[in-house]
Amino acid sequence: MEWPDRLTNLPTTMVNHTLRSGQSINSDGNVVVLGDVNPGAEVAAVGHIVVMGTLRGVVHAGSTGNEDATITALELIPTQLRIATHITRPPDGCSKDRSYRPETARIKDDEVIIEEYNTPK
Amino acid sequence: MGKVIVITSGKGGVGKTTTTANLGTALAMFDKKVVMVDTDIGLRNLDVVLGLENRIVYDIVDAVRGNCRLNQALIKDKRFENMFLLPAAQTKDKTAVTEDQMVELCDKLKDEFDFVIIDCPAGIEHGFRNAIAGAEEAIVVTTPEVSAVRDADRIIGLLEAAEVRSPRLIINRIRTNMVQTGDMMSVDDILSILAVELLGIVPDDDAIIISTNRGEPTVMDDASLPGQAYRNIAHRLCGEEVPLMTLTPKKNSFFSRLKSLFSGE
Repeated sequence: MEWPDRLTNLPTTMVNHTLRSGQSINSDGNVVVLGDVNPGAEVAAVGHIVVMGTLRGVVHAGSTGNEDATITALELIPTQLRIATHITRPPDGCSKDRSYRPETARIKDDEVIIEEYNTPK
Repeated sequence: MGKVIVITSGKGGVGKTTTTANLGTALAMFDKKVVMVDTDIGLRNLDVVLGLENRIVYDIVDAVRGNCRLNQALIKDKRFENMFLLPAAQTKDKTAVTEDQMVELCDKLKDEFDFVIIDCPAGIEHGFRNAIAGAEEAIVVTTPEVSAVRDADRIIGLLEAAEVRSPRLIINRIRTNMVQTGDMMSVDDILSILAVELLGIVPDDDAIIISTNRGEPTVMDDASLPGQAYRNIAHRLCGEEVPLMTLTPKKNSFFSRLKSLFSGE
């Protein structure tokens, strides 16, 4: 998948604070969170989701079924990741240690994969 | 004009009432005029922890409804002249008081006292909204457990939405040896999630259970570690700078831990 795709042209909601447990954002476009997404918080977006902080909660990119949607965070240690109709979670017993590096989740070959974040060329 | 501070947590059993009783008592020991308000209507506890249960005649519901004068409902402490308790009602429920009534009550109390400390019930419903209605500042109490931290996070979000200015955090019941072995969340782990100002840390101690059962706040005991922790927090509430307690033992012996605590290393 190449950037920019057609989702990047959707309107973007900027959230300028950390989303705490019980808080949620639902957007018809993309969402950028300038803060963390804590456990118990939820973000759903028709387009992409970018978290400029630590993602520990549940996020759903491509919430209306678009499989090009991606989830990027400075630190990706989510409770659960959803992209389009795919739902994934970290494997049981997986270390909950912090990673401190930006990563992107996307769908590739019908599976959610997580890769190191690379600046789009 | 005094400060109105609410002590809250979301989760039950993390030490809101113990914290209220000890901070209130510590502030009274520093010659501040203090009133503690129990807003846990129907499940009142603060009177028991303070050992003032048998002096209750009128309560918060009587006071806000005008069944008595406010001063009649205020119970003067048996140890400190400048410390008072406004007890909750036990035979009514949370809906017996409204948010507007709480605002009015807090406004009246802060004219007369240096510190108005509100003990909030567990939960995020009517009782919580009443407790924070008249508060200007909030102290969130949590313990190093995932569930308590999750609830604290929720509460901080609700406080921010209600525009109670920058809540501060007390981490209660820390067990240093368990933190060291990686079996308990550390202060840094908790702060990385909650990202609020740390007001203080309180070690877990059996002395708390004894003092609670006796109705004698542990701050009055000079030798008590949690007592020292609460006194430090009370100093910070008065605007003084006190370094955080060091709970990291050099060796694992109890005496080396005690020594390092008192030498401030």
